[in-house]
Amino acid sequence: MIKRIFFGILVLLAVTGCTERIEVKLDETYNRLVVDGCVSTDSRCYQVNLTRSVGYFYNAPVPRVTHATVILSDGTNPYPLAETRPGVSGVYATDNLFEGRAGKTYTLQVILPEAIAGHATFEASCALHPVTHLDSVTCEFHSDYGKKGTWFVNLWAQEPGEEVNYYLFDLYRNGILLTDSIHKKEISEDIFFNGNYLSGLTVMYLDQSVEAQRLVQGDTITVQMSGITKEYFNFIDQVKRSDFNLPFFSGPPANIQGNISNGAIGFFAAYSSTYAMKVVR
Amino acid sequence: MMKKLFLLNLAFLYILVAPAMSQGVVKANQYTISGKVTDKSCGEMLTGATVFVKELKTGAVSDMYGNYSLTLTGGIYTLVYSYIGFTTIERSIDFQANQTLTVELTPRLHNLKEVEIRSEKEDVNIKKPEMSTFRMDIRTIQRIPALMGEVDVIKAIQMLPGVQSVGEGSSGFSVRGGAPDQNLVLLDEATVYNVSHLMGFFSVFNNDAIRDVKLYKGDIPANYGSRLSSVLDVRMNEGNSKKYEVNGGIGIIASRLTLEGPLIKDRTSFIVSGRRTYAGLFLPLSSNKALADNRLYFYDFNAKINHRIDNNNQIFLSGYFGRDVFKNDYAGLRWGNETGTLRWNHLFTKKLFSNFSFIYTNYRYALTMPGGVNNSFEWTSNLRDLGLKGDFSYYLNTRNTMRFGASVVYHMLNPGIAMGIGNESIFSEVKIPANNAVETCVYASNEQKLSDRFTVKYGIRFSLFHNVGPGTVFHYDSAWMATDSSVYPAGKLYNTYGGMEPRLGLLYDINGKSSVKASYARTFQYFQLAQNSTVGTPLDIWFTSGPNVKPQIADQVALGYFRNLRRNTIETSVEVYYKWMQNVIDFRDYARLLLNTKLEGEIRTGRAWSYGIEFLVRLNEEKLSGWVSYTWSRTFRQMAEINAGNKYPAPYDKPHNLAIVLNYNISKRISVSANWVYATGAPVTFPTGRAEVGGKIIPIYSDRNAFRYPDYHRLDLSLTYYSKVKPGRRFNWDLNFSVYNAYNRKNTWSINFEQDHENPDITYAEKVYLFGIVPSLTFNFHFNND
Repeated sequence: MIKRIFFGILVLLAVTGCTERIEVKLDETYNRLVVDGCVSTDSRCYQVNLTRSVGYFYNAPVPRVTHATVILSDGTNPYPLAETRPGVSGVYATDNLFEGRAGKTYTLQVILPEAIAGHATFEASCALHPVTHLDSVTCEFHSDYGKKGTWFVNLWAQEPGEEVNYYLFDLYRNGILLTDSIHKKEISEDIFFNGNYLSGLTVMYLDQSVEAQRLVQGDTITVQMSGITKEYFNFIDQVKRSDFNLPFFSGPPANIQGNISNGAIGFFAAYSSTYAMKVVR
Repeated sequence: MMKKLFLLNLAFLYILVAPAMSQGVVKANQYTISGKVTDKSCGEMLTGATVFVKELKTGAVSDMYGNYSLTLTGGIYTLVYSYIGFTTIERSIDFQANQTLTVELTPRLHNLKEVEIRSEKEDVNIKKPEMSTFRMDIRTIQRIPALMGEVDVIKAIQMLPGVQSVGEGSSGFSVRGGAPDQNLVLLDEATVYNVSHLMGFFSVFNNDAIRDVKLYKGDIPANYGSRLSSVLDVRMNEGNSKKYEVNGGIGIIASRLTLEGPLIKDRTSFIVSGRRTYAGLFLPLSSNKALADNRLYFYDFNAKINHRIDNNNQIFLSGYFGRDVFKNDYAGLRWGNETGTLRWNHLFTKKLFSNFSFIYTNYRYALTMPGGVNNSFEWTSNLRDLGLKGDFSYYLNTRNTMRFGASVVYHMLNPGIAMGIGNESIFSEVKIPANNAVETCVYASNEQKLSDRFTVKYGIRFSLFHNVGPGTVFHYDSAWMATDSSVYPAGKLYNTYGGMEPRLGLLYDINGKSSVKASYARTFQYFQLAQNSTVGTPLDIWFTSGPNVKPQIADQVALGYFRNLRRNTIETSVEVYYKWMQNVIDFRDYARLLLNTKLEGEIRTGRAWSYGIEFLVRLNEEKLSGWVSYTWSRTFRQMAEINAGNKYPAPYDKPHNLAIVLNYNISKRISVSANWVYATGAPVTFPTGRAEVGGKIIPIYSDRNAFRYPDYHRLDLSLTYYSKVKPGRRFNWDLNFSVYNAYNRKNTWSINFEQDHENPDITYAEKVYLFGIVPSLTFNFHFNND
């Protein structure tokens, strides 16, 4: 809802601005480990990416951190992760049928052969929260929104009332993930609908004038709703806000708070997911 | 409890004032002359006119309502009444009894409506123990080239020394390093909480309805308080009490119409003024076709009526109403201010003048977000003040002028209610608890002439602030997480702050042409804006001091040298200042300010300090007028948890600031104006590194405000062509052609760092600028029934 408020004002403000690419001289001294990984309740192979931070105008693929020891743990059992292409990829994977369990807390431990910014061991923990059942998904076309109309993607579910819940929404079109990078994902906290039956909560807007969001008859839309922790919610929120560059509400820019120890950047997330599908008519 | 505190206030006032009053026992053989100084052409009262006693080389200055009072030992004296742009009048008075004398001064006509632009009084710059202030009448402001021809009070203020604009086209301003919410903006004594129209490109002040403005950057008189950094006192026109007049203007974005005149000649006058922008505003300027569905407009009204009951009583009723409306498919937003002031101006004796005011102000907004089936919701918020205030001036003798008074303001805040629209809505109501507060104050000050050369001004203000229930206060742990809360019933005073605010001013008149002044002022602020961006939105969230938020306190010292040249037509000054601020508000990184019930957990406080030197040359010559100002200043902040606790430049720290504002009357029918402004680029935080997470490049930032935007500079030009002046001519007009940003500089509004769509490994910097060259044409007309 807050995001919609931002968006509403954004449209109001996008009135007269003109843009121009410019040269900016920046000092580039930062060097940190970057960790990017997750586990969820789906049974599949999970990957953890280890990279390094670079100068802002580095403009090449980020360097990979290889030969690390990466161990995932659910509090009882350790699961060592193997580098997919040892010494090359910097991608560390579980086996093909790994499945997270709600109620457990997952810990990721990373040990590097060489220290980065003075540290060689890093750790992150994330609780895996349950999520309410997604009853169904509907699509609603509004021709008056946007130049070529907009599809609203609405979901139906009972929001549990007791605790504060944080949600992450992903969208697939014909099985292909449309929200394929973190800033495209949608998040919401339950403050505005705690304990209500969500009878058509709009979670995505697909602007039909944008090629990547276009829907045609017969397309299958899948919504993935995930229950995430407050920390992960804040992390995604900060990524989205740092991408939302307007001096009106961004506030002064600040570094994004992840959950990796020893000054590393990034997030290790655990969450449970539920899916619902709809064929576009 | 509340009554007790109020009585305490009164007792305090009595202690302050009584000893001074007792000195005022009338000595034998002393007589007082009092009265008004008014403009003969329209009956408007003249503020700051001088009444000079030729024989004694002393005198008095008329107050805000044109009243003056002079007490002299018996004898025959020559009184000289003068006001800039008006013909001076001399009167020989035999002081054998108390008497009343109202004097009407005739404007020295240059152009029928356009009186020459001069400051209030020939040598007030030198002789008055007042510094760090700037007063402008509306005619000065009307000549400044303006964006889209919409002449604006706030944009004029932003070109004064020590004042920084917070951003291109913004109505926010920073005074001597203060935050924009540290400025008290008053319209006929009522606080205006949001001065912006159209996101700040224009201010709420319609120049046809405004008489003059005065900015106090420091040396704030004891009768003002409740903000740390400045007071901008805007006064509305009283309305012509002699004849009916219609004034209006047609510009490229808005039209104005004003009607004024006497209801009862010389007794009751009124003014009504309205302004509205055209529909479809801005759309021709936008290259984005999607904006074609947007509707954006504003309108406002000013009205004032004043009635002179007799020589000792006058009442005024004034009001303002303004609304901005924005609508498109995705959102609807309405916001605006309403103010109302009822004043009674009463002269108890020839020496004791008073003014009582009842003040109302309301700032509100509503945001509607239409959604799908049951996703629509609305968010509303308002902030209301009810105030009562009494101000007294006591003209003890030619050496002492005392001012004292008291005020009570009741603040009612509804920070926000968001709720779904319709029965089927999936949204529950989210309400930020309403809260109320009472702000009271008493003050007393005296301006005392110790010798012909040395004048002191000393005063004290005692302010008290109470949080009044109903209220919900959360308690926070050391990590700023709310642990539990206290709920207070209606009417309960659950928290009190208060403080003494001493004020001191010194004047040493060196030789009648130059003087040295010094001042000290302490100010308290109990009311602030939750805003963590440099540029404001219409969705302002004001919050009060309380158990979790201490009042902000500022101490400012200033020293200045003032010199007038060429028979007072050129005023020059140099001022240095240092300002210390405590409990200054900032917010944690990625603070959530909108609809947050635990807003106070997002606040981080600390200290701020600012220092600088300001040079000003003000020209008041027949043909050439305006000013040139240069300021060098620095402002820093230091807050727990922000920038790792290290000091950082404040958002408005722009060390070099130059403004040249000039108007030249080529002939009686043609006048040209130009202004050029230059300022160091605002400080900004840039990314220095990047990391890749979730398929997205995330920035790693520098220290807070470690970089700067490119320097800002801009030239504006205008030419005004007037209709022929003929005595007795009823209809006059002028045509104004202006160019904003004449050399088309693409001044940086913001710099964004973007990820390339084609190759996501590439990042680049992109500058956003708001305006290229903007020409405009405005037609103004004046019609009277003379």
